Amino acid sequence: MTSDKAIAVEKISFKDAVEIAKKGTHCGMCRFDFLESGVCPAGRKHGFLAYWPQGRMELVQQLDSGRVKPTEKLIDIVNSCSLCGICDKQCNFTTQLRPEKVAKALKDFVDNFDKNEFQNVSEDDILRGLREIVGEEWATNDPCIIASYTMSILPSNTKLNYYIVMPENTEQVSKIIRFANKNNIPFLPRSGGTAFSAAAPTVLAKGLSLEQGIVIDLYRLRKLEIHPESCTATVGAGITMFELQKEALKNKLRALAAEAGAHVCSNIVTTGIISTWGNRYGAFADNFIDLTTVDDEGDIKKHSDWERNNPYSTEPGFTNLSLTPHNIVTEAVVKLHPIFDDEEVVLVPFDNLRDAYRLLIKLGKRGVGLSLAVLSRKYLAEFLSPTLQISKDFDYVCKNYLKLNYVVSVICNQDDKKIVEDMVDYTIDQSLMKSLILGAPRFSTLKDSEFMKILSEEEDPLNAIFAGPMRDHLEKALDPSPENVSKVFDDDLQEFFKKVYSKPEMTDIVWLHAFRILPTRMLRQQMFMGPGGAMWTGDENHYLNWIQMFSDMGDKLNVEHSLGFITPLDHGKFAYMEYDYYYDHNDPDVCDRISKIVVDSMEQSLVMGKVLTILNYLFKGIYRKEHVLYPLAEGISKEEQELFKELLETVLGEEL
Amino acid sequence: MVKFLSEEWIEIGKKYILEKLDPVKDLKSITTSLLGVVEHIPPDDITMNFYLELEGGKLIHFIVNTGDTFDEKEATYEIRGNYGTYKSVLQGKMSLGIAVLKNRLKVKGSKMQALKLIKPLDGVIVSLKEITDEFED
Ligand SMILES: Cc1cc2nc3c(=O)[nH]c(=O)nc-3n(C[C@H](O)[C@H](O)[C@H](O)COP(=O)(O)OP(=O)(O)OC[C@H]3O[C@@H](n4cnc5c(N)ncnc54)[C@H](O)[C@@H]3O)c2cc1C
Repeated sequence: MTSDKAIAVEKISFKDAVEIAKKGTHCGMCRFDFLESGVCPAGRKHGFLAYWPQGRMELVQQLDSGRVKPTEKLIDIVNSCSLCGICDKQCNFTTQLRPEKVAKALKDFVDNFDKNEFQNVSEDDILRGLREIVGEEWATNDPCIIASYTMSILPSNTKLNYYIVMPENTEQVSKIIRFANKNNIPFLPRSGGTAFSAAAPTVLAKGLSLEQGIVIDLYRLRKLEIHPESCTATVGAGITMFELQKEALKNKLRALAAEAGAHVCSNIVTTGIISTWGNRYGAFADNFIDLTTVDDEGDIKKHSDWERNNPYSTEPGFTNLSLTPHNIVTEAVVKLHPIFDDEEVVLVPFDNLRDAYRLLIKLGKRGVGLSLAVLSRKYLAEFLSPTLQISKDFDYVCKNYLKLNYVVSVICNQDDKKIVEDMVDYTIDQSLMKSLILGAPRFSTLKDSEFMKILSEEEDPLNAIFAGPMRDHLEKALDPSPENVSKVFDDDLQEFFKKVYSKPEMTDIVWLHAFRILPTRMLRQQMFMGPGGAMWTGDENHYLNWIQMFSDMGDKLNVEHSLGFITPLDHGKFAYMEYDYYYDHNDPDVCDRISKIVVDSMEQSLVMGKVLTILNYLFKGIYRKEHVLYPLAEGISKEEQELFKELLETVLGEEL
Repeated sequence: MVKFLSEEWIEIGKKYILEKLDPVKDLKSITTSLLGVVEHIPPDDITMNFYLELEGGKLIHFIVNTGDTFDEKEATYEIRGNYGTYKSVLQGKMSLGIAVLKNRLKVKGSKMQALKLIKPLDGVIVSLKEITDEFED
């Protein structure tokens, strides 16, 4: 059935649809209801990625490239979409793309395709075995469905020699693994796909993706129970961070939050949840009370089981690298944290990184604040701006007129707020942040204004704007309102976005920090790669030199780059740093340069020492931070550096 | 046709390594021993292992056993994985290094030490790749 609205969907050619689809970055924001607009009904019902907007976009590209031919299942896939337009609202908020146009073009493509040419895909023994475990509907070897998983677990250059299976519970996961082993078929779990997609255009895909075999899509493990009395939640592997946070909030509780679309269990396994709330709420095994895991023999275990080897420790050292998980976590009992009535945001602006870093570490060591981070100008611009162009202009104004290059962002209660305010000359408060969000389009047009020119002539423009009389002028100039910000969206979506921006949470920095719906704006129509890691904070110069190394590498390889964030860990003894590189994922040349940055920056970091690089972080999340971060890593020797190079050569080939 | 883990595989493997590999140049004079445990061998889903010992780069022992332990000798390193993984490595579809990093082959003992072995063992792997051309389906 096609709704009346479908008729109104602008018709575009298949080629144009491919162009839109190519700009998609598999951020996964279309798979949960972050704008209260609802969520794709077809995806919700059928589960497989091909039924979600994200998967349809990938499928269109795969059909266009000829890697996959239309199958009978494709008819079902297009018919399941009623062109309801939910995906346009969600995707437009994040990336300004219109997936509905792609869905419509796919429908037209199927309508015009010779009915006799659709391929019939038959069931084989493996599929039969998988269906016996999960039921007929939830396992497939259909190439169209398989192809939709490209770039978010499958590489783009393999044969489509896969099965996709969607178990409903831990026992089914266990049975799938036993079955896969018996038949000597590799397998890999997939959750939100956010880590996979970030790795996909780079050399990391070689290690992270599945070359053939069974994709275990964990979306159907959707248990979510909040236990207010113990401040915990039981979370199935199919639940996103956003969904957990939403339920927790109903009970005035908060989960340690990272990427909104990342699944909680996966995030625990993958990185131990790197978060600006980590100094207060913890990291790695601090996050959970218990885990249910299925190991690669299919054995189900709990961390709390008696009489098992210590599940919290791991080998130290730089060769302890793992590019896939050791176990599948099917359920986690995670800790939740109280929300205070008097929480607020305080942002301290800086023109230079050293001062910002110094304040951050001081606060981290004193245990001030709940969420604590240095955010770069680029981050602020990306997050607050509704479109890519506005973010560029926003960035320009901050850099050239305000000299606003970094902020220390503190979410805290009133006691801590006072401490921060006593330590600095001026701050940016919630009210001004609200104005910046609702006035972002105007802010970016101040580029050539007289107002900005006068401001930039001030000796300390930050002081003048945030502590002086010019603040009122700025607020007036921004003319902030939901209506004004909504005007930058496509005409037919403006009414919707006016309502979205009228909601208090959309301008509430505390909520935005906890629900993290803005970071995927870094992925709007382009990719980012964010290497970094956790470094010991005992030597300020060492830390800042490390950041400079990433910056130099970006300059050298001519890739757009910027610091992302720094956040303290373990009472400020460490600080996690992400350095971001932005690039066009459709350009193979820049993808190669990004790969080089990933490898070279890791090598340089290891040589510098006192750091756990992001690649060493991977798949350590279920261990205690005390075992992962300690003993403090010393810089590697020349001999070890050679070993590292050899190791990478055997793994990645010599092309780097 | 030499089948992976057969008696013939051992015999030809031994001969090939002794004749074609130079202990110093190819095997870097290493002294080590390795137990490779192969799980889920079709068609009966059994486990076997092979024990390989080198002294100063010279092959001393190369033995195949059933089960997942070899009682006569204690190997310095143990790697463990599915039949399918060994097959991929021996068919050249996956490198030993990536099989370890993907946890397809699990190393018992220090990963650091085991990874150090990958390069010198390359010659042995290449030899076994050369001679093995038959696998269970
Ligand atoms: C814009 C953006 C911002 C990000 N910010 C952060 C951040 O602030 N903090 C942070 O920690 N990470 C961040 N990440 C990285 C990413 O979100 C995390 O790595 C997250 O854990 C991935 O979750 P996912 O559900 O998308 O996993 P996927 O991408 O589906 O899978 C990631 C890996 O985990 C494995 N896996 C999936 N589910 C399970 C499971 N249940 N058990 C075992 N293994 C599993 C997969 O096989 C794969 O190897 C960011 C990524 C993006 C794109």
